[in-house]
Amino acid sequence: MTVPWDERFEGVLRPNLPLLAPDAGLALDASLAALGLDSLQTVSLLVELEETYEVVVPDDALNAETFASPSSLWEQISALLSKSGSGGGQ
Amino acid sequence: MTSIPEQLAEVLPVVRAHADRCDEEARFPRESLDALRASGLMGMLVPRRYGGLGADLRTFSDTAQELAGACLSTAMIWAMHGQQADAVVRHAGLRLAHELLPRIGRGEVYLASVTTEPGKGGHLLSAAAALTSEDGLLHFDRAGPVVTGAEYADGFLITLRAAPDAHSSQVSLVYAERGQVAVELTGDWNPLGMRGTDSVGVRLKGSVGQDQLVGRQGEFRAIAVDSMIPVGHIAWASCWLGAARAAYQRFIRLLTSRDRPRGIDLQSPLTAERLARIRTDLELVSGYLHGVIAEVDDLRATGRGGEEPALHIHLNTLKLAASELAFAASDRMVQLAGLTLGYQRESPLRLERLFRDLRSAALNYANDRLLTANGNLCLLDRRVRLISTPLRQTDPG
Repeated sequence: MTVPWDERFEGVLRPNLPLLAPDAGLALDASLAALGLDSLQTVSLLVELEETYEVVVPDDALNAETFASPSSLWEQISALLSKSGSGGGQ
Repeated sequence: MTSIPEQLAEVLPVVRAHADRCDEEARFPRESLDALRASGLMGMLVPRRYGGLGADLRTFSDTAQELAGACLSTAMIWAMHGQQADAVVRHAGLRLAHELLPRIGRGEVYLASVTTEPGKGGHLLSAAAALTSEDGLLHFDRAGPVVTGAEYADGFLITLRAAPDAHSSQVSLVYAERGQVAVELTGDWNPLGMRGTDSVGVRLKGSVGQDQLVGRQGEFRAIAVDSMIPVGHIAWASCWLGAARAAYQRFIRLLTSRDRPRGIDLQSPLTAERLARIRTDLELVSGYLHGVIAEVDDLRATGRGGEEPALHIHLNTLKLAASELAFAASDRMVQLAGLTLGYQRESPLRLERLFRDLRSAALNYANDRLLTANGNLCLLDRRVRLISTPLRQTDPG
C-alpha cells in the first residue's frame, strides 16, 4: 500500500493507537477514535508530532476533524511542513 | 391546543401531591407520570409533524426546572425521557421514527435509558454485553445496574457492544419495546435521595428488528456527542437548579412573610451574606446553563463547532458546576434555616429532602470521570475559549 506520509509519521502515530494490531496496516481513512485514540492519547500524539516535525498545529485545527483519520492528520502536518519549508510558519 | 404553561399548571399539583410519598416509600411516581402522559408534555422534544410539541431546548430546560420545583425525582424521570426522545428524533431511521415518535408524542411511550453496566465504572461510551445478529434479528442479554424507571418504561434505549468480536468502544444503540424484552429485577433501590426515580438493577434479554438500531452500527459515540450528552447535561442541570431555586423561593417567601421564623434575624449581616451566597450559586448555574443552551442551539442551527474541544469542555463543566453549586446551595440553606426549619423532614421548606436528593448530583455520572476528561480536553484547547465567546475569534469567515 502506498501511503502519502513518511516513516516518522507512522512511527509516532502507531504507539498512540492501542487498538491497532502491530502487524495490521494503517488505512488512509481509518477512524483513529475506533483505534483507541481518546482525548488523553490525542494530547500525547499532538505533542509528539509537533516535536518530531518541529511545527505548531494552529488552535483552529485542534479538533476532532483533524484527528479523525491518518490522512486528515497528515494533511494538517504536511501543510504545516510545506509552509515552514517556504519560510512561512506560524 | 393548550400552551405549555397551561399543561404544566395541570400537572404540577399532581406532581407536588405525590412527592412526599414517593420519597418516603422509594416508590416510582406513577400518578405524576400519568399526569405528564395525559398533558402532552412527554412529547416536548418530538417535532410537531409527529404530533409532539416541537419545543426548543430552552423551553425543555424551563419545564424541567418547574417540575423539579415540585418533585426532583419526577423531573429527572421526565427530563431523561426527553433526552432519550431527542436521540430518537435525531438518529432513528425513518421507519422507527414514523412508528415510535407519534406514540411518544401522545404520551403512550415512556422511554428509559440503559447505559450503565457492571464493571465499566459508568463509562457512557463503552459496552461489554454484545449484540448478536441471527435470523434477521438483533439479540441481546444485558445487565443494567442502575436503570431509572425500568419497571414502568414502555421502551428502552440500550447501549450494547456492536458485535461479539467488536471492541468495547464500538457501541451500538438499539430501541426495544417492553414487549420485546424480558425484564428481570436484579437490584433494589433504597438510596439516600432521588428515591422516587426507582433506579433499580435489571437484566434485559430480548430481540429486536434490524430497523430498531438507532444510528449506525458501532457508532453510538456520534449519538452521544450530538444528542445524549448535550441534552442529558442540560436536563440534569435544569432539574438540579429548578429544585434548589424552588426551595430558595419558599425560603425567601417565608422570611418575608408574617410567619417568618424569629430565630433568623433579617437585620443581621450574617443572614444577608448567607442569602447572597446561595443566590450567587443559583445565578452562576442559571447563567452557565443558558450559555450552554445557546451554544448547543447554535451548533444545531449551523452545524459548526461540534468537533471543537471547547464545546465538550463546556458541556462537562455545566454538569460539574450545576451538581456542585446546587448541592452547595442546598447545604447553605440547611445551615441558615437551622435544626427545626432546615433539618427536619416535615419542615415546609423540604430542605432535608433537597439536601439528600442533590447529594446524588455529583455521583450521577461521576464528576471524577468528567473532571479527568475535561482536564485532558483543556490541553487541546490552547486558545482557552470560554463559554459564550465566539467560536472562531481570529477567523473572519
